[in-house]
Amino acid sequence: MAYLSMGEAHRRITEYLNRFSDSVASQDGASLKSLLALSSNSPNLLALADSLNVFQDANRLIRQSDRYSQFGEILVNFFRALQCCRLGNLFDAYQAFEKSANAFTQEFRSWDSAWALEALYVVAYEIRIIAERADRELASNGKSPEKLKGAGSFLMKVFGVLAGKGPKRVGALYVTCQLFKIYFKLGTVHLCRSVIRSIETARIFDFEEFPKRDRVTYMYYTGRLEVFNENFPAADQKLSYALMHCNPQREANIRMILKYLIPVKLSMGILPTKSLLENYNLFEYENVVQALKRGDPRLLRHALQEHEDRFLRSGVYLVLEKLELQVYQRLVKKIYFIQRQKDPNKAHQIKLEVIVKALQWLEVDMDIDEVECIMAILINKSLVKGYFAHKSKVAVVSKQDPFPRLNGKPVGS
Amino acid sequence: MNQASNTETLVPGQPSSLENQHIGDGNQSAATTTYLPLTSAPEAITWANHKVDGSSNEMLPNSTYQYNQQVLPPARNVQDGLNVSSVACSSSSFVTSNAPQDYNAYAQYSNSADPYGYANAGYQGYYNNYQQQPNHSYSQPVGAYQNTGAPYQPLSSYQNTGFYAGSTSYSTTYYNPGDYQTAGGYPTSSYSNQTTSWNGGNYGNYVPNQYAQYTTDSSGAYSCSSTNASSLQYQQHCKQWADYYSQTEVSCAPGTEKLSTPASANAGYPVHGSTNYPVPSSQPPPSHTPSWRPESGSSELVSAQPGAVSSGNHDGYWKHGAPNSQVHLTNATQPHFEKPLDLKNSYDSFQDQQKSAGPQGPNLQYPAHLAPQSHQLPSQSVPPVEARRTKLQIPTNPRIASNLSILKTSKDSSTADAAVQPAYVSVSLPKPNEKELSNDTTESVLKPGMFPKSLRGYVERALARCKDEKLMTSCQSVLKEMITKATADGTLYTKDWDVEPLFPLPSADAVNSDNLQVSTPLSSLSKSKRSPSRRSKSRWEPLPVEKPAEAPPPYSNGAAAKYGGWANVSERDKKTLSGNSETKDVSNSRFPLWDQRTVGKISQGPAKKQRVADGSAPDNDGASSDSDKEQSLTAYYSGAMALANSPEEKKKRENRSKRFEKGHGHRGENNHFKPKSAGIGSLYTRRASALVIGKNLENGGCRAVEDIDWDALTIKGTCQEIEKRYLRLTSAPDPSSVRPEEVLEKALNMVQMSQKNYLYKCDQLKSIRQDLTVQRIRNQLTAKVYETHGRLALEVGDLPEYNQCQSQLKTLYAEGIEGCHMEFAAYNLLCAILHSNNKRDLLSLMSRLSDQAKKDVAVNHALAVRAAVTSGNYVKFFRLYKAAPNLNACLMDLYAEKMRYKAVNCMSRSYRPSLPVPYIAQVLGFSTSSGDEVRDKEVDGLEECTEWLKGHGACLITDNNGEMQLDAKASSTTLYMPEPDDAVAHGDANLAVNDFFTRTPS
Repeated sequence: MAYLSMGEAHRRITEYLNRFSDSVASQDGASLKSLLALSSNSPNLLALADSLNVFQDANRLIRQSDRYSQFGEILVNFFRALQCCRLGNLFDAYQAFEKSANAFTQEFRSWDSAWALEALYVVAYEIRIIAERADRELASNGKSPEKLKGAGSFLMKVFGVLAGKGPKRVGALYVTCQLFKIYFKLGTVHLCRSVIRSIETARIFDFEEFPKRDRVTYMYYTGRLEVFNENFPAADQKLSYALMHCNPQREANIRMILKYLIPVKLSMGILPTKSLLENYNLFEYENVVQALKRGDPRLLRHALQEHEDRFLRSGVYLVLEKLELQVYQRLVKKIYFIQRQKDPNKAHQIKLEVIVKALQWLEVDMDIDEVECIMAILINKSLVKGYFAHKSKVAVVSKQDPFPRLNGKPVGS
Repeated sequence: MNQASNTETLVPGQPSSLENQHIGDGNQSAATTTYLPLTSAPEAITWANHKVDGSSNEMLPNSTYQYNQQVLPPARNVQDGLNVSSVACSSSSFVTSNAPQDYNAYAQYSNSADPYGYANAGYQGYYNNYQQQPNHSYSQPVGAYQNTGAPYQPLSSYQNTGFYAGSTSYSTTYYNPGDYQTAGGYPTSSYSNQTTSWNGGNYGNYVPNQYAQYTTDSSGAYSCSSTNASSLQYQQHCKQWADYYSQTEVSCAPGTEKLSTPASANAGYPVHGSTNYPVPSSQPPPSHTPSWRPESGSSELVSAQPGAVSSGNHDGYWKHGAPNSQVHLTNATQPHFEKPLDLKNSYDSFQDQQKSAGPQGPNLQYPAHLAPQSHQLPSQSVPPVEARRTKLQIPTNPRIASNLSILKTSKDSSTADAAVQPAYVSVSLPKPNEKELSNDTTESVLKPGMFPKSLRGYVERALARCKDEKLMTSCQSVLKEMITKATADGTLYTKDWDVEPLFPLPSADAVNSDNLQVSTPLSSLSKSKRSPSRRSKSRWEPLPVEKPAEAPPPYSNGAAAKYGGWANVSERDKKTLSGNSETKDVSNSRFPLWDQRTVGKISQGPAKKQRVADGSAPDNDGASSDSDKEQSLTAYYSGAMALANSPEEKKKRENRSKRFEKGHGHRGENNHFKPKSAGIGSLYTRRASALVIGKNLENGGCRAVEDIDWDALTIKGTCQEIEKRYLRLTSAPDPSSVRPEEVLEKALNMVQMSQKNYLYKCDQLKSIRQDLTVQRIRNQLTAKVYETHGRLALEVGDLPEYNQCQSQLKTLYAEGIEGCHMEFAAYNLLCAILHSNNKRDLLSLMSRLSDQAKKDVAVNHALAVRAAVTSGNYVKFFRLYKAAPNLNACLMDLYAEKMRYKAVNCMSRSYRPSLPVPYIAQVLGFSTSSGDEVRDKEVDGLEECTEWLKGHGACLITDNNGEMQLDAKASSTTLYMPEPDDAVAHGDANLAVNDFFTRTPS
């Protein structure tokens, strides 16, 4: 960095202060937003940070003029955060930025219109980002990372400012999404419930009036929550909504949505095309889909084992594991088709030993009792229509549609 | 030391000195009485003391100022006046007003010192218990006794403050015993006037005083950052008190009580940071205890033992005290050993101690106590602690010895107890041949092997000049001073003793005057010690100390400037020994000390005390053994420090100021000494340092409570009982009721082998867990205990208890402690699968399983169970159930009912037309085996299955072969989950006590 003269530094700082007060005076949310984007690395802010390091007495500048000093709390702390950030001291940067954000929120509350919503978005976003970085710094120093948690409680306050009636309510969903991101990262997903409740129950405001990007994010996270709860229809609905409204250019976002939507769809008997998996780089599901198509329990197990860590982390492991029944159904269905080819009259009677043999051929080690149990479960879950005769060890399947398709309905009784 | 204590009490500064004198007088008078018989020199001393008394009386008005601040000024004045009159009766009258009473009592005591008759009476009564001692010895003791009485009254002042309230109850029991009353109207009057609570207070005071004295001594010697230490001491004293009392109550069993007391004392000391401190503190309380016991009318033997023990302990502790200890012993059994020198020394030491105690007006009382202790002190100067100990032990009665051995750890405590009594005893002892004493004195001054030959030669030369015993004793004291100083300076071995000029012979008068003076200086010392312990407000103890805080202001300025206070203390000692009376210096020094004390300690002292007591008490108990050693060392050092000042005043002063400045550095020195003297438990130092840190933290206010080294504060149990009922703690744990690790291990084995029912085992395990927690033991044993409890809980299906264990085990395993990690990981998984049904928990658990865990049989089993449950594969589930490793089956057991119901539901919907019950029984795990080998069981299983099916609304039919069949179609609509038979109102059948009894055979 070239040497920065004191005068130049002073000039830049004053310029920033002027722009800040101007944007507030003219209620120019867009320019205010750019002034607060701490982590945007915009050249202006970087230059400002350098200037602050050269010109140490910026606080005096702020206090000198009434124009600036009314935002003193915001600006002083923001400068400090900027400086610390530039120097790589993220812990202090977070501390300062939280103060600044707090002051800004108070200021925002006093503004009648929602002109500064954009700026508030930036603040909400920045505080999460800085908190995450500060936590990383803390963790690397062997201290307990707790700043993200602090950011969460700060954002809850912001949410409180926005959640009421009035024009500011539009911003509530954005803050909600930031909160979701924090909670999912922290693993405190249960905290989402209160936010969701206030969004979904207080329907003074049509959900569709929220900005689209917030709606997509919101639906993505709530869809994920439904996956955890194994409420597949709801998860399907939310994730599909997110997928439908997601900007098609945002492939990463689409992929994230698909990562959950595909298992949900699979568990409802809807298989993705191979191209979809290829397009969005979701190869981990390929073998799962293949196993479902073939009726190959062994392949399913292998696929699950292969990507166990990934599936466990994303939380879809249990969902995929339940596909096993569908794989058995497919297997029995295949046997049924083969039998029907041989002897259509006796096709509906499937001997247990045949299934056992087929499984043995697939190197799945199950004895006759277990297979009988599987058949009972299949029948019980309506994956197979028919009944099982214990005495003769024969599964008698219905002559009409013995293997009903799920067609978007979840497996169940 | 006496001076220091006095100063404390006197807080106002000079007045305090006056008071000190008073105290000293009282004490001295008592002491003198004892001495007189022995030698002419002692007599002179006694006279001097008397004079002092008179002066002290005069002084009293001055002292009143201080008192006023502390308590009610008017009352004070009145008391003072009474004191002047030196009428015992007056004291009784004073008693009426509570706050003033304390002081009055004080005054009375001082007065009482004059009237020997009273003292004698009391002594006789007291000593009767001991029987062994001769009559004249008794008379001497009387004086001591009186002194003691005085100390007790000062205690009352403490009560006023309110800290001691708790303790009072205890004291009453012990105190009340008529010994004192028998002593004469005097003691009784003061006591009687005072309520029982008062007595208790006295006790408390007494102990604290001693502590204070010790502390002061050490502080004087060290001249370290006295402020912190002193404040700590205060608090500690309080705590110790509490502990002491509690222990004393129990104490009827000598061993246990003793132990407890020392522990408390230790706690206090650690705070100071210097080992020296702990010793004194511990000693005083114990000493009290023994004395009390005899009084209470317990068997004579018992009383005698404590005394003997105490003496022995003292010796050990004091190190130098070898002579003293001998004296004590002699008193108890053998009169030969007593030496005049020792007595003098003891005087000084006594005074010092008294002073230290003194801070609160109790100073006067202390002197008496001090006198006994002082004996010990003289011995301290030269001889090594250990040697003395051994000596002491030998002389001690078998009983005493037994006590020591038994207690081991508790030795300190016992010693402390003994110390108190010994003081008395020692006073009486002084009879012995002076000549012998003189010989001994050289030895006492220079213990063989301890010092360079040149030094021995020097001592011999110096003593050779002495024409009479008086001179001899005075010379000895001077020599001791020199040696201790040299030791403290580190010049003991470097100095060329052959070239060193002999000091001028002290005149007998000078000696006497010294003694008198000494008493006053001592008081200042005590003050100074306390003062050092200035702490900023302690967070833990919001309660402000009552008096101390208020009093100091006027003096503080002057005192603070002069660190000389410490020096003064040392000087005083020197003076007494050397015979050079530097009253002026002393007084000056006193003031400074006083000021410091008042400023720092007084204000915050009480709070500290409490705090220390809370935290430290348990610790002390645990470390009692260590503390004893340390205490002895500390005593030794303190004595050395006191003596350390060289005869040359200038040097002394310089040293003083230096010391004061050094402060911390002195501590370091002390530490050096410790290692030499004896293998002091590192534990003690650790604690001490931890406490010091804690205090410092408080002072700084920047460190959090969590930063305190809890390791150093952790208690160590002494309870040897293997069986112990669980009781939720509502206060700090008492080490005497906490079992150490070895015992806990036995207890665990006992529980494991026990045939009793789960309730009993659970109770036992909980108490084991508690003891582990309280002692912060976290090792494999801890894991074993929790694992054992977890398994037991699983066996009976006590999930809440299991969950407690599991969460503890989780952290234990996380700390890397070996255990059955996999086994419990499997339980954890099963719990998440079968009972919490929280998918996210399960997922996170699974994702955290290590590769190694996934290979484990139990974990694999748990994972397989999970798969079976999620797919509803009942066949697999019950197969896994039968093949479950460890106690996995127990957890599955709790889920089996649900699984069976689901299975039958599934069967009734899937099977047509019917399903044989034997098959169901086999598949659903009713029969233990499907083979033919166990026919009976299978039949049982079949019957059980039939019952179960009927209980759940299944339709059963009998086919042509007479085999029971499940009518699937009919059952599919009639199945229901019956209300559990064992349902209880509170929702958890496991919590029903009756249920446990019925389920687990006892």
